Amino acid sequence: MDEISREIRKNILRISNHSGHGHIPTCFSVVEMLRAIYETMRHDPKKPDWAERDIFILSKGHAALGLYCTLAHYGYFPISDVFSLGAFESRFGCHADRFKVPGIELSTGSLGHGIGVAAGMALAFKLLRNSRRVFVLIGDGESNEGTVWEAALVASNQGLDNLTVLFDNNCSQTRCLPITRPAEKFISFGFDVLTVDGHDLEALKGAVRHGGKGAPLAVVADTVKGQGCQSLVTDVFTWHRRSPSDAELNMLFGELS
Amino acid sequence: MRRQFRDTVMRLAEDDERIVLLFGDISVYLFNEFSERYPDRLLNLGICENTLVSMAAGMSATGFHPIVHTIAPFVTERSYEQVKLDICYNGLGCTIVTCGGSFDYAWDGATHHCYTDLELMRMLPGMEVMQPGSKKEFDVLFSGCYNNRKPSYMRIAADEHGLDLPCEFGKGVVVKETTGADLTIATAGPILGNVVAACRDLPVNVLYFHTIKPLDTGLLERFAGTKIVVVHDAFGLFEAVSTACPAGGAVYHGLPDSFCCWYGTLNDIRRKIGLDPKGIRRKLELMQ
Repeated sequence: MDEISREIRKNILRISNHSGHGHIPTCFSVVEMLRAIYETMRHDPKKPDWAERDIFILSKGHAALGLYCTLAHYGYFPISDVFSLGAFESRFGCHADRFKVPGIELSTGSLGHGIGVAAGMALAFKLLRNSRRVFVLIGDGESNEGTVWEAALVASNQGLDNLTVLFDNNCSQTRCLPITRPAEKFISFGFDVLTVDGHDLEALKGAVRHGGKGAPLAVVADTVKGQGCQSLVTDVFTWHRRSPSDAELNMLFGELS
Repeated sequence: MRRQFRDTVMRLAEDDERIVLLFGDISVYLFNEFSERYPDRLLNLGICENTLVSMAAGMSATGFHPIVHTIAPFVTERSYEQVKLDICYNGLGCTIVTCGGSFDYAWDGATHHCYTDLELMRMLPGMEVMQPGSKKEFDVLFSGCYNNRKPSYMRIAADEHGLDLPCEFGKGVVVKETTGADLTIATAGPILGNVVAACRDLPVNVLYFHTIKPLDTGLLERFAGTKIVVVHDAFGLFEAVSTACPAGGAVYHGLPDSFCCWYGTLNDIRRKIGLDPKGIRRKLELMQ
């Protein structure tokens, strides 16, 4: 883990400690994916509505705190703003609102919506003969929802090779409905598939740059829920939606370094 | 009315290349000419209403004017959350045009009946809800809303009310006004034909609302001193009227609290539940 990824994780912990909100383990599993996207796609933090930008949608909306900390790192807004997370009339909700936060393309939270909307955007760019690309990050737990697979079927049938689905394979559903062999599933739905270490930034950037070749691309990112802090990894269900106390914050900072 | 949908879209598409049709595998043959003329702009995506709505939201975000078209229950009931979140919450306007509202597919049984659509859509913030009762009303209402960047819902009906009425979005119509009448009937959509037949010689007022949201509350206020009965073969108008005139309340003459599984035709079911002219008249006579 490099210093930037460590600092983003530290901010996630600081803000969760301060606000009492945030799903820390899921945020930790997507940090490198978010960085790979924002270090690869066309975007301008100073002009979030730039007409030629690529699109990123965080479909697993409960990782919003991770996205806020990443957007702040790349200059969309100061990190100090995010400390109001979840407070009355804050811009920063526990799930992101596209009308309130620069860089948010879709308000998400209910699982299984982002991939369909992303497919619609990708189809629109195709019709407009525009080279803009669409990236959507979905969870393996989210993929219990049938709408994920319905949209995947349509995206493949429409040949949306400007659509990249990042699949956070953090094995979050072991206690009920695991998505086993996701790469095979996406292949059978007609996707190009790349499987990478979801915490290897350079590997992720390579996959994101690669894109689909005549078909949408699924990047199956093998990740660890809570990556970076052994306590979060060990007690993943305890920490699913729990904020650290001051003492726990120091302990987790120690584990991160 | 479905042919009118095609004709209206054909006319508008000539000057507006942002119109794009997303179909749930219905009306495809009817739109053959459209497909031939604009091969990129009719997308028969499949029998997948949730994705149909989500993709319409995505296309709207890029500036298109998407029109989602499929059978009423499958998009309003099954895909309610997609309409609520992807379209309404995200402010990504599109027009949903359905067929098969109420009992237009009477013979198919309760899986294909849909009388909740208007009320479900009415409850969503920002949604415009229309139930045209004639081809002319469809043409006027659709042409006015399809490109306004707001979410809109409208039904295509299997029958029409048979009257030539003025039509302006958001404006109710006084179909009949009787001086001194203390009973006012409010209705919407094609069932107006049965209402008019039922009360031709009765001293009542008849108000017609092709636009259920926003409701023409100003028109209702004019008749606030009278008893109001909503006659409608769906939910939605009664709830809108009741919200608008809480003082005296309104009476509902419409659907029973049971599935209407008798097959047959639309008119068979209307007769069975008292929404044919005879049944409506019986209700009105009891109220007078």
